[in-house]
Amino acid sequence: MSTVTRIAREEWRALTRDRVAVFGFLLLTVLTLVAALNAYEHQRHVSSERARYQEHANHEFEEQPDRHPHRAAHFGHYLFRPLNPLAAFDPGIDSYTGNTLYLEPHRQNSANFGDVRQSSLLLRFGQLTPAFVLQVLAPLLLVFVGHASVARERESGTLRILLAQGVGGGQIVLGKLLALSGFAALALLPALLALGWLAVSGQSGWIPILLLGGGYGLWLLLWSLAVVWLSSLFARGRDALLGLLAVWAVLVILLPRWVPEFANRAVNLPTRFETEIQVKRENLELGNAHNPDDPKFAEFRERILREYGVERVEDLPINFKGLVGEEGERQTSELFNRHIAASFERQMQQNRLVDGFAWLSPTLALRRLSMGTAETDLANYRRFIEQGEAYRYDLIQRLNRIQAEALSYADDTDPNKDSRVDKSYWQTFPEFHYQPMPLADTLRRTAPALLVLLLWLATLTALAVRAARRLGRSAQ
Amino acid sequence: MNASAKHWIRWELLLILRSRLSVCALLLLLLLSAFAVWSGLHETARQRQTIERLALLHEQDTATVTKPNLAAYLVYYNTWDAPSDAAFLALGLRDVSPYVLRVRAMGLQGQIHEGETFNPELALPGRFDFAFVLIYLAPLFAIALLHDVISGERHAGRLRLLLSMPAARHLWWRRTALRYVLLLGCLLLPLLAGAWVEGTATTSILQIVFTAASYLAFWTGLCLLVAVRGWRSVASATALMALWTVLTLVLPTLANVAMTRLIPVNQGIELTLEQRHAVHEAWEIPREETMEKFFVNHPEWRDTPALPEGFHLKWYFAFQQVGDESVAKEAEDYRRGLLARQSWATRLGWLLPGVGAQTVLHRVADTDLPAQLAYQDSIAGYHRDIRAFYYDYLFFERSFGMEDFAKRPLFSPRTADAPAPGYAFWALLVLCWLFAVAGLAASRQGRWQ
Repeated sequence: MSTVTRIAREEWRALTRDRVAVFGFLLLTVLTLVAALNAYEHQRHVSSERARYQEHANHEFEEQPDRHPHRAAHFGHYLFRPLNPLAAFDPGIDSYTGNTLYLEPHRQNSANFGDVRQSSLLLRFGQLTPAFVLQVLAPLLLVFVGHASVARERESGTLRILLAQGVGGGQIVLGKLLALSGFAALALLPALLALGWLAVSGQSGWIPILLLGGGYGLWLLLWSLAVVWLSSLFARGRDALLGLLAVWAVLVILLPRWVPEFANRAVNLPTRFETEIQVKRENLELGNAHNPDDPKFAEFRERILREYGVERVEDLPINFKGLVGEEGERQTSELFNRHIAASFERQMQQNRLVDGFAWLSPTLALRRLSMGTAETDLANYRRFIEQGEAYRYDLIQRLNRIQAEALSYADDTDPNKDSRVDKSYWQTFPEFHYQPMPLADTLRRTAPALLVLLLWLATLTALAVRAARRLGRSAQ
Repeated sequence: MNASAKHWIRWELLLILRSRLSVCALLLLLLLSAFAVWSGLHETARQRQTIERLALLHEQDTATVTKPNLAAYLVYYNTWDAPSDAAFLALGLRDVSPYVLRVRAMGLQGQIHEGETFNPELALPGRFDFAFVLIYLAPLFAIALLHDVISGERHAGRLRLLLSMPAARHLWWRRTALRYVLLLGCLLLPLLAGAWVEGTATTSILQIVFTAASYLAFWTGLCLLVAVRGWRSVASATALMALWTVLTLVLPTLANVAMTRLIPVNQGIELTLEQRHAVHEAWEIPREETMEKFFVNHPEWRDTPALPEGFHLKWYFAFQQVGDESVAKEAEDYRRGLLARQSWATRLGWLLPGVGAQTVLHRVADTDLPAQLAYQDSIAGYHRDIRAFYYDYLFFERSFGMEDFAKRPLFSPRTADAPAPGYAFWALLVLCWLFAVAGLAASRQGRWQ
């Protein structure tokens, strides 16, 4: 073992004398710190902003004057998507999704005001976050620092000498790997410290932090392995560098752009326009919930009359108009839920296609792991939309219930009467609180990505071992 | 072309073709550019088909209108924004913002900010279009082919010999120029084919070609500037890759951070909150008050029959419009904020050729933020026409039948003429060729001896 550490120490000494390595390391550290500080500040700013808007919207809802309950329903409510603290590490799709959801009866709206439509095209160059630095820039640094690790020895003839002295090929490769992964660990350190701080300050649990730290550690280890492996294959350092740069460009820059293009084409996503027309068509079959005399509600009327044992809706102890509103909302919500679920299913299908390509580019697996753990991926966005919808449905149905119980049918159907209920009702509504994904679900969802990364590690290890053996044999 | 020129070109070409790395790189670039163009063409064709299909669907939907008296209130009107003849090369914001939108005659501010269904995870890494190949990938190929244009000769032991020849002064620029031309050819051939298929306007093609040529010239110049330092190949490649990383990945993202911070655009959210408040307030105040507010800006409807007892649509539309007008200032501020971000991004392009090329390409393709705002303007204009059309019936209490409904205004999409080259274009040209000339000049001085 001491031979291995000696080789590693020697390599380290070379690294500290290498201007590229030192300068690159400093640059990466500064970038990580700037990115972490900026992303943290951004996350806090956005969070407090959205909390402030949410409070404002809650206040507006509660402070409505005496109103007809259905008017209050059309006044509606606004929800603002909260941002997970770990978005300070990997904001994922936060900038690409809307954050303002308007709730109203009879329809489900899209979340609007996403940054992507408000940011000029600069956003498309990527966002400076710790995740971006580690996913894209850190592997590049490892390529520059490590491409010559074995190739240099071969080029200068020292490899032959080492082997002749009885040092094994495995020992050389392991030593170089040790040195490079040590360098990688050092590069990862600022990000790890930032992550650790998020856990210590109680903004995030330890398990997601460990998962993120472990995932990125694995990622950089993968690259260290790949760099040392390819370095031992090429005869010249320059060829190793060009080869590694090509690998980096394909895995980190090219495939993550090309694969979504493919998924986009494989699974077509209907536009909002189309979905709305479809919903409207099906909705026409259901009847108008504003009109208790709509023949589409005849069966419902019969059932209600039977239930209460009366002949006419006027004799009901309850406002039939409110009941029709309730029934109508139930039907249209079911309709919308079905279409929106179908749209999300298609998007999930696209994402699964992309995830399938993680066998080709581990970058995709890392992204899934990172966004999934930071709770900034599509599944978490969908969770918000679905909880928002559940809240909307509950809100509207409570208002319909108030209409059914607090207003009489005679008053409510009299066009000359301005029926209203007391404003104290508005304060009885619960506020919206987003329930984040349970940790077990997050772990289950990110497990496949972790598995893919581990398999990449196993494959690269096997390749490096084979290369090391060949290196040893070349001396004989 | 004289015989000696033909002679050197043949020999230099042979030299390039004998290097496996160079041939592979050139072919790969050709392939990537072709794929990007093809995929852009596919996407614009898909968007056109969608627009066509939805027009039909919308027509069927409108045909179900049977109660003309409610048309003003219930009916949707469709608008669309077809991709321009150059959109295929830079899809820009078209994948995250709607290019088809339906509006009703009610308040516009509650409708115009509506988003489109798209998969955010797929949008996150950005599209694989020609703009991406040019801005991100082409420099990498230039670096691969040019980083050792001098050090490679030293490595092969030919440098001294070459320098001793009388034509040495021309050697480097010839060699570089040839590689530059080959790279540019691989980039542009698929693009020109795509432009021919789409029938792209000549001014657009010229701007695109000059942008691509200039941007590539910038990187060629940079490669030469680094190559003449006389470093080893590895050191040159490292320095160039560092430059690439900083210029295309780090600085633009830093700039975006600064811009988001310095120019906040919260007005969007605020104006929708406020507009809702203004609209619903109408139900709480005397109707005449609302009408009074409405007539201030629209005196042409003042001398019309007074509001009758009970609900009337003209009051309904009046408060919808008053709601819009109450947030006109916020809407203006919001727009100004967006445009400020855009103009700072454009200014950044004067310093960063990657950003500059991106700005110019997306302007020519008409897929940037100003294009999106122009589409919103066309929607707003149409919405104004619809309102005016119905107000005529509502305020004068004229009866409205199916034959009147048939006379409703139709949407005429904005026509995006091929934009003339703007400041951003000229600035990019100057910046890029400055570097190209500097590289050339440095290579003729031969400091590396």
